[in-house]
Amino acid sequence: MSGKKKVEGYRQQSGKLPFPRPGSGGSRRTSEPRDEEAIAASKAADGHRHDDLITGSTIGKPTGLIDSRWKVTGQAQYGDDIRLPGELIGRIVRSTRHYARVLSIDASAALELPGVVAIATGEDAPARFGVLPVTKDEHAMAVEKARHVGDPIACVAAVDEDTAREAVRLIEIEYEDLDAIHDMRKGLEDSPEPIHDRGDYHIGSSNVQKRVFQEFGDIGGMTENAIASHTSDWLFAGANHGFTEPHAVVANWDPSGRLTLYTPQQVPHYVHRALADVLETPMHQINVFRTFVGGGFGGKSDPFPHEMCAAILSRKAGRPVRINFDREEVFWVNRGRHPSRIEMNLHADSQGRICGIETDALIDGGAFASFGHVTTYYNGVLHTAPYEIGAFHYTGARVWTNKPASGAMRGHGAVNSRCAVEVGMDDLAEKLGVDPITLRLANLLPPHSATITGFRVTSIGMRECLERVKEASGWDEKFRKLPDGHGIGIGCGFFISGSGLPIHWEPNKFPHATVHLKIDMDGGVTVHTGAADIGQGSDTVVAQSVAEVLGLPLDMIRVRSRETDTSPVDLGSYSSRVTFMNANAAISAAMNIREKLLEAASIVTGVSSDTLVIGDRRIYDKRDPGIGISYLEALHKAQEEKGALVSSGAYRTPPMGRVHKGAGAGIAPAYSFSAYVAEVKVDAETGQTKVLKIWAAHDCGKALNPLSVKGQMIGSCHMGLGQVLSEEMKYGRNGHLMNPDLLDYKIPSVHEMPEVVPIIVESNDSEGPFGAKEAGEGPLLPILPAVCNAVYDAIGVRTSELPITPDRMYRLIERRCKKESVEPSDLHSPRLEHSELQGVLESRAAEHAARDSARASMEDDSPYHNGALFGFDPLVPADEQDDRWIVSVTPSEEYVGSPRLAGSAWKHAERRHGGGI
Amino acid sequence: MRMPPFNLHTPETLEQAISLSSELGDSGEEFDWVAGGTDLLPNYKWHLNVKPHVISLAKVSELSKLSETHIGAMVRLHELEDSDGVHPLLSKVAAMVASVMIRRSGTVGGNICLDTRCFWFNQTEEWRESIDWCYKCDCGTGADCRVIPNQNTLCVATYQADLAPVLMCLGATIHLAGPSGARSMPLHEFFELDGKTRNVLKTGELVTHLTLPDDSGEWMGDYQKLRQRDSWDFPEAGVAVAWKLGEGGAPAELRVATTGLESIPGYHDEEAATILGDWKGRASLEDLAESVRTAVKPVLNTWYPPSYRRKMVKVLTKRAGSGLTEV
Repeated sequence: MSGKKKVEGYRQQSGKLPFPRPGSGGSRRTSEPRDEEAIAASKAADGHRHDDLITGSTIGKPTGLIDSRWKVTGQAQYGDDIRLPGELIGRIVRSTRHYARVLSIDASAALELPGVVAIATGEDAPARFGVLPVTKDEHAMAVEKARHVGDPIACVAAVDEDTAREAVRLIEIEYEDLDAIHDMRKGLEDSPEPIHDRGDYHIGSSNVQKRVFQEFGDIGGMTENAIASHTSDWLFAGANHGFTEPHAVVANWDPSGRLTLYTPQQVPHYVHRALADVLETPMHQINVFRTFVGGGFGGKSDPFPHEMCAAILSRKAGRPVRINFDREEVFWVNRGRHPSRIEMNLHADSQGRICGIETDALIDGGAFASFGHVTTYYNGVLHTAPYEIGAFHYTGARVWTNKPASGAMRGHGAVNSRCAVEVGMDDLAEKLGVDPITLRLANLLPPHSATITGFRVTSIGMRECLERVKEASGWDEKFRKLPDGHGIGIGCGFFISGSGLPIHWEPNKFPHATVHLKIDMDGGVTVHTGAADIGQGSDTVVAQSVAEVLGLPLDMIRVRSRETDTSPVDLGSYSSRVTFMNANAAISAAMNIREKLLEAASIVTGVSSDTLVIGDRRIYDKRDPGIGISYLEALHKAQEEKGALVSSGAYRTPPMGRVHKGAGAGIAPAYSFSAYVAEVKVDAETGQTKVLKIWAAHDCGKALNPLSVKGQMIGSCHMGLGQVLSEEMKYGRNGHLMNPDLLDYKIPSVHEMPEVVPIIVESNDSEGPFGAKEAGEGPLLPILPAVCNAVYDAIGVRTSELPITPDRMYRLIERRCKKESVEPSDLHSPRLEHSELQGVLESRAAEHAARDSARASMEDDSPYHNGALFGFDPLVPADEQDDRWIVSVTPSEEYVGSPRLAGSAWKHAERRHGGGI
Repeated sequence: MRMPPFNLHTPETLEQAISLSSELGDSGEEFDWVAGGTDLLPNYKWHLNVKPHVISLAKVSELSKLSETHIGAMVRLHELEDSDGVHPLLSKVAAMVASVMIRRSGTVGGNICLDTRCFWFNQTEEWRESIDWCYKCDCGTGADCRVIPNQNTLCVATYQADLAPVLMCLGATIHLAGPSGARSMPLHEFFELDGKTRNVLKTGELVTHLTLPDDSGEWMGDYQKLRQRDSWDFPEAGVAVAWKLGEGGAPAELRVATTGLESIPGYHDEEAATILGDWKGRASLEDLAESVRTAVKPVLNTWYPPSYRRKMVKVLTKRAGSGLTEV
């Protein structure tokens, strides 16, 4: 190719950049030079860069969480356990209308009620906020319009809860009803009164909040080359996180005029920022105190209206204000999994290669943007791996509707479309006459590769995951061979280990995570970190990392992670970033201290610090362990001149990714992989599905605390089972949420929970702390498709609607029975006869296995670009080798003429381009 | 959730309880009985038809008697589940009610008198305000029923208690006491087809106990329950089938009852009699299941859609009666 290639992108294509290396995105067009030393080198052919730090004291050992005794003895203080003297109780007045203009709020009767101290409305804090800076569309309380039933309109602080509740009853609100939208498909159309107004950037006069168009690879050849195709239209119900602790918050303005907000938050830093905006108070005057968090799963990661309300009421009343939610209010705040309509088409060619994935995802955002901008991307880009693919077409749209807002929930944006992909893989295997595990093993990207969208993937343990669940579950003896009504199924997952592009950050200015250490003469190490322990054990991981590097027992490490006043800024517990980024920062900080200790020990012992090693509270000569001093002696020597030892360590991601619009969404310093096998029993007469056993393999790089990793895997299975079997936010015929309570929002009970066999796979990531990657969200992804595929193996029906409640399942069974003119009790399980392709795939899988193990240990980690399987040079992106492989992020006029469902969002022009009213 | 304030009365004998109820009744004060509280108190927290007075039966020990043929209203569900001499079918159904913790507190009388349920009704006050209330708890507005719109004369909330169909199949008699004396009736005559009135209890009247006929030990049968989860959930449909074998192993008597489908439990004596008159084994069971399916008329107000519940009634009936074809 000699001529200049047509560039269809927001920026430019890789290799044609005006600057030498692609930046990691953000608002700046150019990367700024940075101190590469700050990013620890990550190359080691025969081991990990952190291997020389491992003293063997805690890493890799099953470790009880360091705060577990607080919890099991009931002494942990969660949001609602905070009691300050003179506290008032706050209650929120919520909209009873789906969509209405608020004409007037009459609080006079409530104010006269004895015991009522303060009442606030939207007028008290009109500034907008939102977790993403590009989509701030929330207010503390409704300004002008109420956008869903449960939207905050006003709030009340009173001396006790009964009075506060009575005051809420006395507040009279006059509404003018507007036409509400409940069906997400309606959100794509023009509306006389869009739910939000984005000014010049509004998309037509529709309710489309975000739209994405992406085409990569050989789009033209996708269907042409296919010998088998899978097509499906999925409908996923919305799901709520179902955490144990309802939201609770306490706000207090102290005598020096500073605000302290006690809240069980996953992301204290964003609340900190939003409070500053809404209260018009500088950040340094606000202290966000994270209480113990009774579960988050993404549901406590937005800055919330009730947090603003508590602060506003407290300022008005001059007393602390505590607001504690009822479970119903948790559903009004929601931020759960998006209800979604996903069209998923997969194509395979004669070689059993995945020559194309086409996805169209319409997601129902509810009334606010929340994390939706990101979710819209994630529904597409997070299924461009682990398989090598020939083409990827994605259209996504997120619309506002008059429902509680959807947001980030464990497996953010990846869960639903991953389920659709994996069920598609199962169907393709069926159509090709091959085993679905073999099909996967013959199409995996190798370690150190670049996906079709340009994600840099480092370690990949996908193959080992598949092989191990295959063996553990007895797959070959069971698949398509179990008795009628019994089935077994496989599903895989791929997830980011920390977002490469932080939400609220200037990537070139600040690190992603910072950890401070302080050691004084008592020898205990105080760790200051802002990482939010939400039950996942981040305090424990950071303590383990420091203990490991300094060769100390865990009880000498004290973690202070609660208050923004004392902790360094951390971006919070989302996108599975904490272990990867925070432990890396902790290691850097601890290495710093270790150097000082070794220097001091060198002075005392006269041994060069190069040959000194640290271990079990002693520093000694590695050639003659008899020569050495105790840790405390070294510490005191090091302190002689400077008092307490302090150090700071930080982590930021290396430059990664391509440069098209949206290239930043989905890039991560590492990715986790997983493969689950589920065995189920389906009652053909009732449609009831019982999951009997799950074999779960997850590649977390290195299990720093295997106990936690296993817990995350088992917990993920429970959560995922809920979404696949029974959990659903049900909306009634008038758009009302019919089940905002835990009796009717059906979280599986202990009876529904099968045995889970957790299998930890360690691919030893070159950049992860001690080799670790995430284990918090990725483990949830495979369980949904594994169950769906097992159901097919059991009873021969493919679902495309979740959850598969018995009534839905029975409908599918009836349909099959009608087609085959049999009774449900006479239904037979499908059987498989291998085609010739099976042998082809098996030998390719064997070749690839050899290739992968060679790549995993080689020194050169230049990436293998997606496309090599289709005959291209792996060293160069395929689109630079062949004109048929395209990179496009704007739809053609032809596409807009006959778009798919979510793709029809592109029919509108932004107002600034002449669209809309 | 906050419990609204009410006056709690704790009589120690049945006589005291009744005189208290009659005093309150005479002075026009509204009240509720509370036994285990697992149904009433959650409803109170949601401000559903809250009364200013509540009379607790917790201290009335004479209501707790349990024998093979006598079941006091205050017998706890777990006692029914665990005690010797209780009919095995009754033990089985008791163990299927709600969850372990609820069965420690919930009582037989409370389960029989369980309030009817509807997803337009079992919601918080704020939620119900957003739908402008409903007929079952209209808060003085005269609101329409939300399930069958444009009418406010019939409540179709669903009766979702498990014990009643089994007790009906075992031929139970229910015994009531009140200011105007005691009375008894077959259990299937106790219920009244309306989700609001629910049963024949008059103001001040309460259930004291149930009795089973002396031959109940000769009856066998089964209860099948449809629900999403094997704990906590109310029956979306429940079918009890019981029979007494005659000579030659064919059923001499047959009873079928259902729950979770309408505002009262269904007692399908006509269907059972028709089928029993011409008993042909497995085919007859199929016919019985079909006739029960057509007899019930569920509406859309619980977790599963009514069409599915109705179809499942047939499956449940066949399964509950499967013992009949094995003899």
